[in-house]
Amino acid sequence: MIEVQGLSRRFGDVVAVDDVSFAVHDGLMTGFVGGNGAGKTTTMRMIMGLLALDGGRVTWDGRPITAADRRAVGYMPEERGLYPKQRILDQLVYLGELAGMSADAAKQAVMEHLERFGLADRAGDKVEKLSLGNQQRVQITAALMTNPAALILDEPFSGLDPAAVDSMADLLREHQARGIPILFSSHQLDLVERLCDRLVILAGGRVVADGRADDLRHQGPARHRLVLDGDAGWVRDLPGVHVHDVDGSTALLEIGDEVPGADQALLAEAMRRGRVLEFSRIVPPLSEIYREVTA
Amino acid sequence: MNSVTPSTTGSSSGSASRAASAPDRDLQAPAWVIVARREILAKLMEKSFIFSTVITVAIIGAFMGISSYLDAKATTYTLVTTSAAAHDTAARLGPKISAVDDKVRVTTREVADEAAATALVRDEDDTVWFHEGPNGWTVTARDEVPSALVASAEAAIRTDTLERNAAAAGTTVSQLTQGSALGVDILNGDAERQGFAKAVAFVLAFLFYMASLGFGMMLAGSVVEEKASRIVEIITTRIPVRQLLAGKVLGNVVLALGQMGLYLGIGLIGLTFTPDKSYLSSVSQGIGWFLAFFLVGFLLLACLWAVAGSLASRSEDLQQTAMPLSMMLMLVWFSLFLAKGTVATVLSFVPLFSAVLMPMRILQGGVPVWQPLVALALSILAAGAVVLVAERLYRRALLQTQGRLSIRQAWAAAE
Repeated sequence: MIEVQGLSRRFGDVVAVDDVSFAVHDGLMTGFVGGNGAGKTTTMRMIMGLLALDGGRVTWDGRPITAADRRAVGYMPEERGLYPKQRILDQLVYLGELAGMSADAAKQAVMEHLERFGLADRAGDKVEKLSLGNQQRVQITAALMTNPAALILDEPFSGLDPAAVDSMADLLREHQARGIPILFSSHQLDLVERLCDRLVILAGGRVVADGRADDLRHQGPARHRLVLDGDAGWVRDLPGVHVHDVDGSTALLEIGDEVPGADQALLAEAMRRGRVLEFSRIVPPLSEIYREVTA
Repeated sequence: MNSVTPSTTGSSSGSASRAASAPDRDLQAPAWVIVARREILAKLMEKSFIFSTVITVAIIGAFMGISSYLDAKATTYTLVTTSAAAHDTAARLGPKISAVDDKVRVTTREVADEAAATALVRDEDDTVWFHEGPNGWTVTARDEVPSALVASAEAAIRTDTLERNAAAAGTTVSQLTQGSALGVDILNGDAERQGFAKAVAFVLAFLFYMASLGFGMMLAGSVVEEKASRIVEIITTRIPVRQLLAGKVLGNVVLALGQMGLYLGIGLIGLTFTPDKSYLSSVSQGIGWFLAFFLVGFLLLACLWAVAGSLASRSEDLQQTAMPLSMMLMLVWFSLFLAKGTVATVLSFVPLFSAVLMPMRILQGGVPVWQPLVALALSILAAGAVVLVAERLYRRALLQTQGRLSIRQAWAAAE
């Protein structure tokens, strides 16, 4: 488990990261979400030791993280790039060797990944000859080929077409199944929702939400939708029920917890007055949670 | 689609407390060796590098070939005569002229009269009319009298006349000139050798300048490339920045020394085919020292070039961040022509300047061996200091990707 505690970083007068704490658990995929300038990249760079910490600490399995730990992490920087004029195989083997692999093992790992991405026949090409999407695949290979003990990926899905997103997601799940902690940042909330077990939302350098995606969506007052066969205007008068909107026979309501059993009372009243066509809890999509917490 | 099964070579997966699973680095070459190897291999596979090296080798080879051909080539002149006396003299002079200057050969040809002789001189190259003049002999040529021919003919005629006049007086030339010999001994070695030493010093300084500038820009460019593409972020999470710097610097030192050795080797081999080969032993010592100074000087410069690269964020910035270095190299290069006497002696101890001026002084001769040793020691000390400063600047500037940095900013930057 990688944990950051009270992480802070200033650039001149700008506080880029302000007292950020969260954990990246073993075997779970943690999505790192936030707008531009929220501090995601700075936080990831501090975890990787690329930026000094103004405050706080980073731990690995409960002890301060070391250079050896970091070498075992598969890291993919934000503005990715490799040596544009070097052959793909050569530079991936080089990066593998720098991570401590033997040249043979590195070559084998590279070829396995390239085959999987359908790029095996391009191994001898220069990186600049590849399309952007394929360059991205090569880049992710650099992070995954070392059989990493953790993954820290900055925007790994940007620029990928849907098929490539799926194949990348499958790959990440395989590594997740090995029980390693995975942290990746993304702007694509639908993707984060689909892939992630946990979510850390950053805004203005601070953590504004942190937890399991399901918990985040279920936290806060529960919203319900009620559809009747007659007019639903009467719901406004019930205690403990806050009405958002009534449109003929359909009502959008929020049932607070100040009146215990308010939801059951509402349903009983509705059934007494006629037929209930629908009574359902609305779980807000992540994008809505995101808008709320970052507003 | 094939699947990659992430194997678990280094770690036991699933275990809650999993140690970092980097394979044992002890089994492997040190990181700086891996970096240096990539620097070298990447460069050797670059077409422009191979091309420029081959071109330079070809130019050196051609230069050597042409100069040795020109040196060896003898010119044969035709002496046209119009009288029996002139013909006899010309025939007698032939071997004597070649004895004076081995690049001048003479054949004779007798024609009927002056008109035929001048017609021949007009029509044919390397042909002169040799005839009696008011006070001895005259050579008539088309545009200009070949100076090599005149000089050697003059000497030959003087000797020939002296011999004949001496014989007529019943004595010999050696009797007449006895006791008149003037021996010549120059303390600074002879002028030709000095000229040769100067030429060699010029070539060495030029090589130093070109290699420092060429390989330096290349090194700085590769630092910017890594920085701009952010691959440096991946590299520095895997190995210490110091190892990256060391590897890049050493890789380029090996390349530069290799290229330099190749050029010098071809030059020296070429030299053995020219008459200048007699000076070879006198310059080899200077060249040996040059290589030592080159190694240390280049090491020092390479660190500075790496810093120049790290201060830029894009290759467009490089011209500016490298400016002080280019200026300094220019200064070193010009010192070869401008520094004289005491200034040259003092500068030949100053690091970087010593790489150019000390070999020059050694080539000119008369430098006690402690001087290059002291100069070299000073260079090594300077290189050591520069490495320490450069490492700090490089490490701090490497991850600053917003525009250009000044040296002061880089020094003070947080890591």
